[in-house]
Amino acid sequence: MSKVRLLILFSSAFLGIGLVAPTISIEPRAGEFTWLVELWDQEATEIVTYSIFGAIRDLYRMDNLFLALVLGLFSVVFPVFKLSLYWLATVHHPNSNSVASLLKWTARLSKFSMVEVLFLALLILTVKALPGGSEATIEWGTYLFVASALGSMIVPMLFEKPERNGAN
Amino acid sequence: MSNITDSDSPKRPWLHLAIPISIVACFALFFVLPDNSKPGDGIQFQGNEVDEGSSLTEGATYYIFASEIELESTNAKGDPWDAGENGPDIKYRILWKGNEVFQSEEKDDSLIADWSGLSIDFDWSDLAGKTISTDEAIKAARIRNEKEGVIELVVEDDDVVDDDMAGRVEIKLDELKVGLNKRKLSKTPTNAVKRINIQVLPQGSSLKDLVDLMR
Repeated sequence: MSKVRLLILFSSAFLGIGLVAPTISIEPRAGEFTWLVELWDQEATEIVTYSIFGAIRDLYRMDNLFLALVLGLFSVVFPVFKLSLYWLATVHHPNSNSVASLLKWTARLSKFSMVEVLFLALLILTVKALPGGSEATIEWGTYLFVASALGSMIVPMLFEKPERNGAN
Repeated sequence: MSNITDSDSPKRPWLHLAIPISIVACFALFFVLPDNSKPGDGIQFQGNEVDEGSSLTEGATYYIFASEIELESTNAKGDPWDAGENGPDIKYRILWKGNEVFQSEEKDDSLIADWSGLSIDFDWSDLAGKTISTDEAIKAARIRNEKEGVIELVVEDDDVVDDDMAGRVEIKLDELKVGLNKRKLSKTPTNAVKRINIQVLPQGSSLKDLVDLMR
């Protein structure tokens, strides 16, 4: 199996796990009154861990259809579709016009590949800015997701090699 | 320049498109299926799980308190509880091995008194920050379940001059279950307690479980 296909398979596996694995943990705090809030409603201060799928599902349940759609599109649909296009490109001859066309399409999609990471960064920044010392922590699922995104960034570089060889 | 055409294109491109999709789906399912915890429900409780309705474990320590006590309309002798039309001021004590291990707060002028079993002693200075343990918040007797263990629940009408006995109930620990235990009693010349609800909570439970049981 070629390096490109292997990389696509690994990226797909990382993406699959990264979508359902814990991505972010939020620990709500209420400053000096945390103990009082805990006594009143302990669930309010319990650590909540979200996966990307869990976050999309919860956003949908909370009637935040727009955010659920944006997150679902950028973190699930685009990355999966991009990997599929790469795989399709591997079954064509490396120097064919189809590969060039597919790579052009995936290059467009790549621009959105890190939107989910940006979303997480914004979320952490927002949670940390909240009063009361609330904490947001990145979980291991994020690293798998980023690894998948990085993997799919490397794939087109490997595609370009035969083209350059052909030119020489 | 390359002169390769697309004549070598796969006949079923959609089949190839499905491969990464299947891999993503398979790994996601493979990861999710063995783990029954739902994403987004990462709530972590501290303390032991409470198995409501289970028998008490020998050697284990439990919080025991009366969540509700109802008295008869007259005392055991058939006389009114208090002078005039005032109702009884109910309080109860729990005795274990002949020692008083808990005394409740008094509930004024009531035939049905209830206690939450959960309260905190609050001081303004605590606003600066206070840590509260479950033990501090629970207002109940702490009893260890021993073989053939018995507790006594003494219900009284608190009076200024002398407290009137409303009833004295002996409870075998092996008859109790975790959670709510309801007891109905008959009026006798020595008993004017009509009904007692006893809550039994295992020590070391999370505050949330205790609060849930007390509802």
